[in-house]
Amino acid sequence: MAEGTARAAQILEGARLDGRRVLSEHEAKGVLAAYGIPVTREVLATARGEVAAAAAAIGFPLVVKACSPEIAHKTERGLVRVDLRSESEALRAFDEIMAGLAGAPGAVLVQEMVRGSRELAAGLVRDADFGPCVMFGLGGIFTEILHDVAFRKAPLDEADALDLFQEIKGWRILEGARGLPPADRKELAALLIALGRLGREHPAVEEIDVNPIILAGSRPVVADALIVLR
Amino acid sequence: MTDFERIFHPQRLAIVGVSADSRSIGFGNGILVACRAMGFAGEILPVNPRGGTFAGQEIYRSVEDIPGDIDFAAIAVPAESVPDALEACRRKGAAGAEVVTAGFAELGTPEGIALEQRVKEVAARGIRVVGPNCFGIYCPRSGLTLLPGPDLSRESGPVAFLSQSGGMSIDLAHTGKWMGIRFSKVVSFGNGADLRETELLRYLGDDPETGVVAMYVEGVEDGDAFFEAARSVGRRKPVVVYKGGLSEAGRRAVVGHTASMGGSRAIWSGVLRQVNAVQVGDLAEIAQACLAFALLPARTYRGISMIGGGGALGVAAGDAAEANGISIPLLAPELQDRISAVLPKPGSSAGNPIDVANPFFPPEGLRRVLQLAAEDPRVELQVVTSLLYHYKSQAAAIGRSLAEVAPFRELAEAAGDAAEATGKPVIVILPSLKRGGDDLDVLDVLARARQAFLDRGVPVFDDIADALRAVGHLNAYYGRRDG
Repeated sequence: MAEGTARAAQILEGARLDGRRVLSEHEAKGVLAAYGIPVTREVLATARGEVAAAAAAIGFPLVVKACSPEIAHKTERGLVRVDLRSESEALRAFDEIMAGLAGAPGAVLVQEMVRGSRELAAGLVRDADFGPCVMFGLGGIFTEILHDVAFRKAPLDEADALDLFQEIKGWRILEGARGLPPADRKELAALLIALGRLGREHPAVEEIDVNPIILAGSRPVVADALIVLR
Repeated sequence: MTDFERIFHPQRLAIVGVSADSRSIGFGNGILVACRAMGFAGEILPVNPRGGTFAGQEIYRSVEDIPGDIDFAAIAVPAESVPDALEACRRKGAAGAEVVTAGFAELGTPEGIALEQRVKEVAARGIRVVGPNCFGIYCPRSGLTLLPGPDLSRESGPVAFLSQSGGMSIDLAHTGKWMGIRFSKVVSFGNGADLRETELLRYLGDDPETGVVAMYVEGVEDGDAFFEAARSVGRRKPVVVYKGGLSEAGRRAVVGHTASMGGSRAIWSGVLRQVNAVQVGDLAEIAQACLAFALLPARTYRGISMIGGGGALGVAAGDAAEANGISIPLLAPELQDRISAVLPKPGSSAGNPIDVANPFFPPEGLRRVLQLAAEDPRVELQVVTSLLYHYKSQAAAIGRSLAEVAPFRELAEAAGDAAEATGKPVIVILPSLKRGGDDLDVLDVLARARQAFLDRGVPVFDDIADALRAVGHLNAYYGRRDG
């Protein structure tokens, strides 16, 4: 795990040396992955020629999206293409997104399309009174509409995380319903515990926004993430 | 090592800043008068540089002039004189002092902040300071009382209250007096230059006189330390927290109030739940939670019986119960038959809620119904609503007073006896529905009735929703601690 800490520190330090406060999605997921958090399989493609190999490595269907620390709202800017089912679709998406970047520094992220109808969110904030605190709640568009989230002070233990699940109004989303399997609470708890640990071990991290976490069957997978440095 | 015993139960109390002018309404005179009215057991030693006498008692010209040591001091001199007065008390061997004077860091001025820093420096040399900008300490056992509190109860009990706000401390102390909350210690710590929320919480966690700790906090000095203390104390006794300043407007008020910043609502809620503290949203809810924690045996109450006259009472009760995760189980047919035999006909219902049909259901009937309903193992607590005001028209019809006619003493005996006999506690709801100037007799009877129930250890609430919310707090706390 100390190795994960070092790997995360390296990515964070890289952004800092670049003079950036915001990590790209790919960097942010690298930090999360270093802490054992399950993230989408993905490849960063900087040139058109890399797309075919990336697509082959990950397998269809794909999500292709802009990856730039300067662009926080990719969907709103039309820089995300989902459910791509062939190499030609992937190449066309690459071209359109590169054009859409309009000169902003960045590349294209070719990632697995995680299938699941339930989206969750997690995060880390620094509170003036209690230091790093971990957030959990409903994800996707429901985060902003329902604001159904709750917090725990880091470090969290498993009991804290399990209790946090019960605190949101939409906690039933974690139960099996309509043929969906119940969420893997242990895995989800581990994710929250890791976020808290990340916040405590890296004072340079101001805020982490992990949204959505898609439940692929019972297994949580981080599909998008944002890390802001102090 | 802080000598809290000499702080809360001082034998020799100096009051610095007492004027010889008997018409003075200064804080020093206020404290002296209040402590005397409370029958403070120790020696009171007033101090003022101009000397003289106050109410027959010699005023020392300086703290140094007091013969012998002192245990504790109340300091009410102007802000700029506070550090020197505090230092003099320290040299006199005082374990602590309360500084009621305002005009320190809460002003936000460089002068105010510098003055508070000097208070901290004296404290660091070995005297514990409560305040400044506070109402001080109320301890019923010693008779030490809050600045405006000459008429608080001298009866001790299990509830401690820590408050950044002086107003909140005196308000709860007075509220507790009529609601039946008995205090071990109340501390208004104001700016908290030295002693403040976390250290006092730890102390009260270890204090054998204290069974419940309630707190009003606007901001905490050290969130990590507070978290650890609250979690640790919460494992032993309930910690009830009202965090003020969570709204935007409230936050602005807090900054000017005690020189601390209010935190985010969602984070405070999460953190309080994490340490199994009981979060409440106002003074009334603090009082209601403290009453329930103090008077009900320490456990959860998942199922209740609900007894009262009138169908809508049962509906309201059902709604309040469900909102708090409490069930009102339908009693078994055989038990319903036995209860029904006691109830007036028609219009009654024995299902649970148990509708006793009218507000004149006699105390002996209530006693029997409570005994029977307790036979259902799912009933863990019984809630009785009594609308005593209805007796007013009955009393008028026979030319008697309400106090003579309303059988509150007998009802209190019935409820108290049933609780003892069955081992299942009883809560009484006495709604105060007639409060106009022409119904002072109703208010009078309600106050007496409340006292009669409290004398039998039966907690009384004004409203069913308040009562069940308080029971919900017990369920959450004990359920998570012991479950």
